[in-house]
Amino acid sequence: MRCGTTDEKLSDLSRLVDDARVHRSLYSDPDIFALEMKRIFGASWLLVGHESQIPNNGDYVTTVLGLQPVVMVRHTDGDVYVVYNSCGHRGAIVCNEDQGNTKLFQCAYHAWTFKTNGDLDAIAMPRGYGVAFDSCDPSLGMQRLPRVASYGGFIFASQSRDGPDLKEWLGGASSSIDEILARSPTGEIELTAGMHRYLYRGNWKLQLENVVDMYHVPFSHESTVSRSGKQFGRRPGEKAASEISSKGRAAVRWEERTAWGAARYGHSYTGHQPVAESLPDTDLFREYMAALEERHGASKAMEVLQPTRHNTAYFPNFSLQALNMHVRVIQPISVDRTEVRVYPIRLKGAPAEMNNGFVRHLNITHSAASLIQTDDLECFRRCQDGGRAQNSEWVWFARGAETDQFLPNGDVTNRGTVETPQRAMYRAWRSYMLEDHQ
Amino acid sequence: MNTASLSRVDLHTASQFLTMEAKLLDDRRFNEWIDLFTDDGIYWVPLRPEQQSPDEASLFYDTKDFMRTRFERLAHPRIHSQIPYHRTCRIVGSVMGPDAVGDDEICVKSTLMMADYRQGVQRLFAGHVEHRLRVDKNELKISMKRVNLINCDDAFELIAVPF
Repeated sequence: MRCGTTDEKLSDLSRLVDDARVHRSLYSDPDIFALEMKRIFGASWLLVGHESQIPNNGDYVTTVLGLQPVVMVRHTDGDVYVVYNSCGHRGAIVCNEDQGNTKLFQCAYHAWTFKTNGDLDAIAMPRGYGVAFDSCDPSLGMQRLPRVASYGGFIFASQSRDGPDLKEWLGGASSSIDEILARSPTGEIELTAGMHRYLYRGNWKLQLENVVDMYHVPFSHESTVSRSGKQFGRRPGEKAASEISSKGRAAVRWEERTAWGAARYGHSYTGHQPVAESLPDTDLFREYMAALEERHGASKAMEVLQPTRHNTAYFPNFSLQALNMHVRVIQPISVDRTEVRVYPIRLKGAPAEMNNGFVRHLNITHSAASLIQTDDLECFRRCQDGGRAQNSEWVWFARGAETDQFLPNGDVTNRGTVETPQRAMYRAWRSYMLEDHQ
Repeated sequence: MNTASLSRVDLHTASQFLTMEAKLLDDRRFNEWIDLFTDDGIYWVPLRPEQQSPDEASLFYDTKDFMRTRFERLAHPRIHSQIPYHRTCRIVGSVMGPDAVGDDEICVKSTLMMADYRQGVQRLFAGHVEHRLRVDKNELKISMKRVNLINCDDAFELIAVPF
């Protein structure tokens, strides 16, 4: 495909993605990035945060959705609102803190104040405005995102008034959230253990593709596997964890993992990693097990401890990992630069020492200075730089295309190191970008 | 534990120790660096300026076991994120102390600047550092090194070696 003017390029969008490959311009073209921010991040549900971050009225957290600065805040009515972090007067950032508690938001520039639902509260020195000035004009407020909904404590918002409700949008991927919640003795989780932030010089989609890419593991992460063929212990109490190899018995087991892609909206997951099978024989674990049995009964508790999911990628802005329990939120910065925020998950009601162990292991698997994530970041950067070459126009996701099984509801399943998840993402990408979803 | 020799550690000795420690990291003599820590030693880089606890996310919170795993990986011939590796240069300054902490530990404070470079990108890290030192078998050892980066809550591109 030749790239012509912006209009020509965008009218050719449907030709940029087919069943097994996507055009390299999806990763490098600033016009396509701008359109993604409008048609994907501007339309889809996006993960904003978690209820545990704002338990009390007036609690707030600031973040960015796509390129939009927002505040997630619990209002005086107890409900959660997501409002643009921008003054209706001159557009300045109103709330300059990462998080906190407040009765009102006040702009630094001319002291306009806003209620915690985003409505304009008061204009400083109001007599300076004439009668024609309508201070009730809602656009003078910070403005609410039109739709906010929650699932399992996770708070989502959409910048579009229309579109599927949250449950329909989550589809089969909601069960990955259910699985994590079931591992909590109270059925609740908390995102209150801080966050990691890492940055890479590559397109945002490289991260989302990667979390459900089981093909890269023995190669990208070769340096994390010892001579015995086992990766270092990724969970508390483990000396060594998964056998990782592109050959032999380990490779055969790897091919038994499930892969799943949603019919619509682009979510996907990969099956659970074959970690050490036996459950830890420690007092701490027995304490957790007892709490879990109290909630679920003995046999269901055992079932809950045999997770079926590894990573779940929710298109377009987050992922959920069951092995090193965390949520990752993707914040595109520009076509070739992306920030990712990694939140450790705490299981409410589980022994504190156990939750702390998970937090500490996440430091070495997914911080900016970690042993796993750093090799992924390197590969993202190499994809971004190498993609400029003119050897090919395409990025390939053909692995396993012939063996994809389509279920009656349109979802797709397969096994092993296939690129079924990525194909699901790009089907959704195409739908969003051509605006044929709604 | 030889508290008598700990009491002989003065500002000059402490400064020399910190300079030598930084040099080991610049020279990538990682196994010798690990040996500077007590068996229960911890290397900590928090992610919030006032962070009190390692029970929330940290950039590093390495026990000696984690340090060994980290450096085994750094020695791997196919560690993609470190081919080529980051070259580093550290300056240790403004060393203060030592101040006694209980009977068997001293605290030394310093500032650290570290530049690193890899493939066209040079970065500058700066932080306030706190060392807790003990004497173990007549040698000065680190029981805790905490690095408070001034930009600890920033988003970082990949980091491979301790500060």
